[in-house]
Amino acid sequence: MDKKYLKNGQFSEFIETLRLFGDLHGPTMSDTGVFAFSPVSDPSQLRLDYQRTQIPPKKYLLPFREEILSYREGNYRQSHHHTPEIILFGVHPCDLDGIAYLDRVFLGDSPDPCYAGRRARLTLVGLSCVPDDFCFCSGLAEPPTCDLFLTLQGDGFKVDALSARGKEIAQAAKDLLSLEATGATVPLQRTGITAQDPQLRFSDNPLWDKFATTCVSCGACSVCCPTCYCFDVREYPSLDGGGIRLREWDNCLFVTHGEVAGANFRGSRLERLRYRFLHKYCGFTPLQGMTSCVGCGRCKEVCPVDIDLRELTVNPDQGTESP
Amino acid sequence: MTRPKLAIAGLTACSGCQLTLLNCEDQLVDVARLFDLVYFPMGESGSDPDAVFDAAIVEGAVSTPADVELLFGLRNASHLLVAFGTCALWGGVAAMNNKVSGRDELVRQVYGDSGRIESFPPSPMGNFVSIDFAITGCPPEKHDLLALLAAVLAGTLPPLQSYPVCTECRSRENLCLLLEKGELCLGPIIQGGCNARCPATGIVCEGCRGPVREANVAQELELLLERGFDRKEIERRMSRFTPEWDYGKRR
Ligand code: SF4
Ligand code: SF4
Ligand code: SF4
Repeated sequence: MDKKYLKNGQFSEFIETLRLFGDLHGPTMSDTGVFAFSPVSDPSQLRLDYQRTQIPPKKYLLPFREEILSYREGNYRQSHHHTPEIILFGVHPCDLDGIAYLDRVFLGDSPDPCYAGRRARLTLVGLSCVPDDFCFCSGLAEPPTCDLFLTLQGDGFKVDALSARGKEIAQAAKDLLSLEATGATVPLQRTGITAQDPQLRFSDNPLWDKFATTCVSCGACSVCCPTCYCFDVREYPSLDGGGIRLREWDNCLFVTHGEVAGANFRGSRLERLRYRFLHKYCGFTPLQGMTSCVGCGRCKEVCPVDIDLRELTVNPDQGTESP
Repeated sequence: MTRPKLAIAGLTACSGCQLTLLNCEDQLVDVARLFDLVYFPMGESGSDPDAVFDAAIVEGAVSTPADVELLFGLRNASHLLVAFGTCALWGGVAAMNNKVSGRDELVRQVYGDSGRIESFPPSPMGNFVSIDFAITGCPPEKHDLLALLAAVLAGTLPPLQSYPVCTECRSRENLCLLLEKGELCLGPIIQGGCNARCPATGIVCEGCRGPVREANVAQELELLLERGFDRKEIERRMSRFTPEWDYGKRR
């Protein structure tokens, strides 16, 4: 049998062991009281009690703004970012699902080189959680999509190595692990949200109009969403005659998102909401029929006007979920 | 290559926008080499009234007959006219009391009874002439000005950004002052691009960059009223940099 239990007493040393594999990042609280994944210099900075960070781990793979190309004298060159090896500790199941979704998008048919470079240097250490009122994930994927997963258990953790990298880390930490279980795991109630019928976005639910009227287009929901990956691409010449092309997070709720020369694919906010709903709960090519919402609860928590798109899946007459 | 001819000018304003150019210390030598600064009174280069320009970059609101004359002159003499800064684009701080006080009274307070100055309520230059490009901000960001200059050099205009302060604010993992502290933050309806400088230091967005294109003004008003702010106070804050709001606008 594998030694796979970590007692609380060994936790700090375990964290120090992780550090041997790269720069350690994990959930911390900022000076102003915001939970954020950030560099960890001392294990005591880690906030294992965090519920969700404001910005999901996607920032490690797809930064808010990055240069993707530079050009000079008519020649384009792909930008190379030096990314260190990062061990991201304490990622909850919803955010692991979020990364798995982004992987499908960015590492699919034609892999995105910027994303792929960062992903290859990111080691994920998952951590089990206790859902709050905002959460509605579908539970831990089987097998969990990370290198190592820690399940809170009594006075310690159960440690599962799930990749070659994870096994390497478990091996390096073997003296800290024991055979003996640290306690029982609390089984968790998970609700999840299943893929919806794309036609539902044209339902006559009065909430559509209400949301389209009240949304202030602040962009918070999509900035904070672990699976929102839409970006804007802009090119800036520079004084030296060259220039750069950058990409920056965008939001399908912005009027500019569907704008092309002379027209807008989704000119009204209502159309944009329907589009967001379609992407989150119905999925579209090539991920049709797949919900991209992992149930982290961030969008509802950060929305200044309390919009919860999930309410649109409930038939207002019956108060039940549509099939 | 011919150096593009520039005019850098100011109407009624504090000169802070023009100062943004002088503050680009690292690029000034290049700017002087690459452009012909034909008209830049504040920087003490010439002020030839008959010159023609590739671009006129103009700060300030229009508030005196002399402003109108200078503005018309630059519009006629320049291929591109750029509204430079919040006053030029929205009216700015000089216009914040346009609705509440009479002009004559203000002139008397500032210049005394004997003061003879012709002045009318400051308004954005777009009310008088057509504008080809605008850089917002009080003061504008250096990088926006440099992007414009580089684009002019390349024979184009910079790409536009159009999202509110909240987008950058949340991306920087700031504490939301509106939601978490119940403060009167204008972030949702104000044009971003400042990297949420104020909320990042714990100060609410005062709206110095003017409205974002898609501002849901009516809803911002409603959500602030719901949080207990007084309508007068909200309007006073909103008009600090932008006197004219359509409080019923939703899209
Ligand atoms: S749509 Fe909302 S709940 Fe779903 S993953 Fe995105 S932020 Fe989380
Ligand atoms: S957070 Fe709410 S108000 Fe802001 S863009 Fe999203 S749905 Fe609209
Ligand atoms: S602090 Fe202000 S700018 Fe920042 S997210 Fe909140 S409302 Fe928007």
